[in-house]
Amino acid sequence: MKNFKLFILLLITITGFNSCSENEDTMTLLPVQTKQITNLHAPQSGGQGQPVSGDFVKFNFTTGETTIDNKEWDIAFRGTSIIINGGVSLGTNDEPNRNGEAAVYIASGNMASVTDIDTTSFLQDSQSNYAILTGGGNGWYNYAGPPTHLITPIPGKILVFKTHNGLYAKVEILSYYKNSPSQPDAFIDGTPYYTFNYVYQPNQGVNGFE
Amino acid sequence: MLNNSYSFLIILITLISSLSINSQEKDEAFKDSTEIQKLQEVVVSVTKIKRQLSSLPLPAQIISNKEIQNTNSIRLSDLLNEQTGLITVSDFGGGEGIQLQGLDSQYTLILIDGLPLIGRSAGTLDLSRINIGNVQQIEIVKGSSSSLYGSEALGGVINIITQTPKSGFKSSLNYSLDTFNSHDLNINLSSKKKKLGIILFINKHTSDGYDLLSDDFQQTVEPFKDYTLNTKLTYSFSEKTLLTVSIRNYLETQNNVASKSLAGKSEINEWNNLFKINHFFNKKFESTFEFYITKYQAEEYLNDLNGNLFSKNYFDQALLKSELRSAFSINKKHAVIGGIGLTSEQIDRMDFIDAPKFDSSYIYLQYDGYYNNNTTLIVGARFDNHNVYNSQFSPKAALRFKFNNSFSIKSSIGHGFKAPDFRQLYFNFSNATVGYTVLGYNAVSKIIPQLESAGQLASVFIPVSNFNNELKAENSISYNIGIDYKPSSNFKLDINFFRNDVKDLIDTQIIAQKTNGQNVFSYYNVAKVFTNGIEFNSYWKLNNNIAVSGGYQLLIAKDKKTKQDYKNGNIYARLNPFSPSFQLNKNDYFGLFNRSRHMGNIKIFYNVPKWNLQANLRITYRSKYGLSDTNGNNSLDKYDDFVNAYSLWNIAINKTLNTKYKLGFGVKNIFDFKDSQNISNIAGQLIYGKFNINL
Repeated sequence: MKNFKLFILLLITITGFNSCSENEDTMTLLPVQTKQITNLHAPQSGGQGQPVSGDFVKFNFTTGETTIDNKEWDIAFRGTSIIINGGVSLGTNDEPNRNGEAAVYIASGNMASVTDIDTTSFLQDSQSNYAILTGGGNGWYNYAGPPTHLITPIPGKILVFKTHNGLYAKVEILSYYKNSPSQPDAFIDGTPYYTFNYVYQPNQGVNGFE
Repeated sequence: MLNNSYSFLIILITLISSLSINSQEKDEAFKDSTEIQKLQEVVVSVTKIKRQLSSLPLPAQIISNKEIQNTNSIRLSDLLNEQTGLITVSDFGGGEGIQLQGLDSQYTLILIDGLPLIGRSAGTLDLSRINIGNVQQIEIVKGSSSSLYGSEALGGVINIITQTPKSGFKSSLNYSLDTFNSHDLNINLSSKKKKLGIILFINKHTSDGYDLLSDDFQQTVEPFKDYTLNTKLTYSFSEKTLLTVSIRNYLETQNNVASKSLAGKSEINEWNNLFKINHFFNKKFESTFEFYITKYQAEEYLNDLNGNLFSKNYFDQALLKSELRSAFSINKKHAVIGGIGLTSEQIDRMDFIDAPKFDSSYIYLQYDGYYNNNTTLIVGARFDNHNVYNSQFSPKAALRFKFNNSFSIKSSIGHGFKAPDFRQLYFNFSNATVGYTVLGYNAVSKIIPQLESAGQLASVFIPVSNFNNELKAENSISYNIGIDYKPSSNFKLDINFFRNDVKDLIDTQIIAQKTNGQNVFSYYNVAKVFTNGIEFNSYWKLNNNIAVSGGYQLLIAKDKKTKQDYKNGNIYARLNPFSPSFQLNKNDYFGLFNRSRHMGNIKIFYNVPKWNLQANLRITYRSKYGLSDTNGNNSLDKYDDFVNAYSLWNIAINKTLNTKYKLGFGVKNIFDFKDSQNISNIAGQLIYGKFNINL
């Protein structure tokens, strides 16, 4: 039994060394993660002239899931606003404090064409603006105005994020309406239900998504 | 089958296309062949004096009183929709504005007897408010005419010439009744004895309106009634001096329904008053002085269920214009016309920062010459000086060369402009339910600091200092080149290529963001657009009783920057919300909204002399067009939703009972075409009957 334990230990050590040496030789990295999140529900209260409130729904790219942790989150959603865990709070009601190094910029292209990361373009939330500007046409969405009042993601806009712990992810938002209807109706379909595709680069120090 | 553009085009090509039938030709068509009309068609809009149409070097067209009668048209919008390259387009307020050579309603100047109509609430001049029961002819000049008319004549001019008193006493009564319980009653009284002439026109029009979407609380067009009153008085002091006084008043009342619990009325009250003296110094020299005052007042209110006032809105515009012009004919082949004028314009409107006033003065000069019995030349220019926007110099030149009696070439080039309107300068509007704000250019430096100090602004994207310069007038250069081919008196074909290069187009941009997350918009000079295309018009008299005309316009209208963005691969689209976005290329750009690539018409006029009966079939076609961007890239690409192509078929039959009475019957939109989602001004099939008494 003792020998067996020793054998296991030896085996682990050897494979460990092996993998280490392999890493050094051919730079084997963790695979890039591609995932779709559907119907992430992030309601807000107030709006339309009234103060906005309600909890932001936080999301962590590493786990690929929403979280209630106050530190380990990358981006958070409330209504049409998307904030990042980096910079300073705009000071709205119920807005979480920033304690990470997250940042963002909006690239033109699609998920396939945005492969490099331009680290000089990153912005963080500030006292006057979120890094992803709100308002139709300013950030990630268009607002159709009357009569349809539809909120639709601007095609060709890829949100490139730096996570709270310095890794990268790119996001294409697909829909703001529940179950991503092909002909959304702002008066019938539930909001805000985010559906988005993302690609996460889990390797530290790799400035790209390939 | 109705919407099949190919079959239409085939018919069109077979028949070839055409100029709308004009009076002389129609007269010819319906006259005995032995009886040749010598009357020449005369147009005044091109030179401000009477000018023979056929030798003009630029695209101009006349719709005669006869065509108005034969088609039983009641409103100007009905008539213009049947002309090649013209289409009325509804704005969000329901106003029907004209699109000419692919340019919006705000770029076509609408005149009555040479003087401008006002009351463009959002740039659109609603043509459905103009009754044409007392119209002598309508003149349409395509291509920039700012060299004579100044602002707004960037795309062209539509001049409605009303009847003038003729010798003797004449009276007529017209009455028509149609499907929507619409009654239209006209009375025309005209008398001229020696020096004094007077004409009185009264029109009453009432309608129940119509509803395309029956499941909501309001109608597409609410019931309305309107009155037009026009008196014209002419007095000849001598053979050389003629005084004209004209007063026109239009009154409209319409139900105003906003929701189940909010209803009221909307009213329009318009006055056009003209005082004019012509004096002929001698056979070569004449002068005209015009003093014109027009007012347009629109008011609407909504009451709640208890009858308490909920909201009230008003729009009150006035224009004063005086012009002195002289025409000098050097000899029969050379003439010069020049004029000076002053205008003063005022507006008082809801949501304006103040009650602004525009003052401008202008001077123009135009030469019209005829050389070698085959070359016509018109050159002219106008200078406009304005108290708010930059001065404008608008030159124009046009040349026509006649190769032989059946073939000639004409070409013209001109500068056109449109001054920023009051709204683009002085608007201060905040949407009560959504919370966005729209500011006129001149309102920005006043309102933005106010919003800022009230703590309503989250951030300012465009600094206020950017608004220190003046908002420039939109301006364009228009080119027209065409051929007239008339191998015989029975056949005629006109072809015209046009291009309008418009720059400094005024658009809205986001200038700041409010703390409520909504945007503040303002106006700025940005866009460069072009419209170009070809227009065909043809007329073919098969025999003395049948005449066919056809017209076709090919139009390409694009924003130059957007076109470049497509070319550079900066525009993306998404097929549906599940699919990722993909890059578009330059072939995917369709062009500006609300423009159809193909528009056409075919008209067949049939005459049965032994029954005193005239019948006609008129078909108009419009190919698909896009009303808005439906896939998020703010431009119209081929993956967007389009309004389907359609054609409208109209028939009219008129029978004359002795010379005094006429009975009319017709169906507009025979196949009951409707598109309730996209086209609010097509009501569906409309059957009417009418009678006319001439004494």
